[in-house]
Amino acid sequence: MIEEIKQWLEEGIVDLFLGYKMVMGHPLPHCFVKERIEEVDDLIIGLSRYSLEKIATHIAAAQPDIKIGMLVRDCNQRALNVLYIWNQLNPDNVKTVNVNCCPSNLKEHGDCSYLEPETPGIYKQQVGLDNTLRPQDVEEYDQPQQLSRWMYEFQKCIKCYGCRNICPVCFCRECSLEHKELIGTGALPPEVPIFHLVRAVHMAGRCIDCGLCEDACPVDIPLRLLYRKVNEIVVNVFDYETGSSVNQSPFSILGDKVTLEPKPLYIKRAETTKSSIGPQEMN
Amino acid sequence: MDCKFIPSICSYCGTGCGILFEVIDGQIVSTLPMKTHPVNAGKLCIKGWNLHEHVNSFLRLKQPLVKTFGRFIKTDWDEAIQLAADRFREIIEKYGPDAVGILVSAKITNEENYLAQKFARAVIGTNNVDHCARL
Repeated sequence: MIEEIKQWLEEGIVDLFLGYKMVMGHPLPHCFVKERIEEVDDLIIGLSRYSLEKIATHIAAAQPDIKIGMLVRDCNQRALNVLYIWNQLNPDNVKTVNVNCCPSNLKEHGDCSYLEPETPGIYKQQVGLDNTLRPQDVEEYDQPQQLSRWMYEFQKCIKCYGCRNICPVCFCRECSLEHKELIGTGALPPEVPIFHLVRAVHMAGRCIDCGLCEDACPVDIPLRLLYRKVNEIVVNVFDYETGSSVNQSPFSILGDKVTLEPKPLYIKRAETTKSSIGPQEMN
Repeated sequence: MDCKFIPSICSYCGTGCGILFEVIDGQIVSTLPMKTHPVNAGKLCIKGWNLHEHVNSFLRLKQPLVKTFGRFIKTDWDEAIQLAADRFREIIEKYGPDAVGILVSAKITNEENYLAQKFARAVIGTNNVDHCARL
């Protein structure tokens, strides 16, 4: 695999390659380039998962024509499919090296940080929800219990926006969770449960079940469980399985005659930096 | 097109969560948590998630500023330190050393904290040493 990546860099098939490297004892994401091609010998697959696709969207926003190579697991591949469908990345400019993935019904062994999910504490099992449950297990509780358990989990939220910041398929410039006329910033604690329900609805048709949001949540809210339920509804009602292929489109539920004009793919970075730290934002 | 990931520590509270700065072409673009860091294990609070805006903010001070006639005037370090020392001297002579208080912080090193309290006790001559967390 290392030889193949070196060959890609040398021949210019990719301009840079995103993978992992050990830095001071931590497996960190690293960008391998042709100028320092000897670093590719240190490429590792790494048990810890970072959202390399999100980094690729940042790079593509700065330079739309650059060719990016990436180390992808199945979750990364699903995220890439969703990003292609929503025009955030150009599939012609991304080349992937697919590696072994989390164990599931289809695969026995894997190379991922989800190999051993943590068992929750006793109090959380009594009063809240175990993160490793499936949606149908939650539906076995009666309705008032379901509500009180979910409310227990949501009330812990500290509105850190970690779930949204790290999500590989969250790319909206004006996020509803930050919009001052919808759910604004500041104002702690967040309005439960509307904060999480707004996010869950926005994740319908986009969440690819990578679990990075749950990893990033400082108070261990079972987000993956919530978004799995929402996406189950999407599969049942619209027959749309998020991330499974590049050829489906979320707009196809409206029929074949609907076309949407493609918007400009990328906005130059100088404008975006200004708009994120400009005076109009400080209020 | 140069993309680097610089590991660092969050500069806000005393917890010290591990941070990864995503640097594209020499500009910090975003902040990520370090997943294998023993302190935070891949989780961050809202202050840590927005460190990149703090670093590049146009509100950051670049030079010492002195307030003269109600407006901030740019100056240099020597003048600023001399002015502060003169004003401290005036206050101590007029109101006594206990009119001055020093606030130390969890974000500076232990050695700097020691220096600060030594400055308060030996130089100014007061016991009024407290901590920024009490604000």
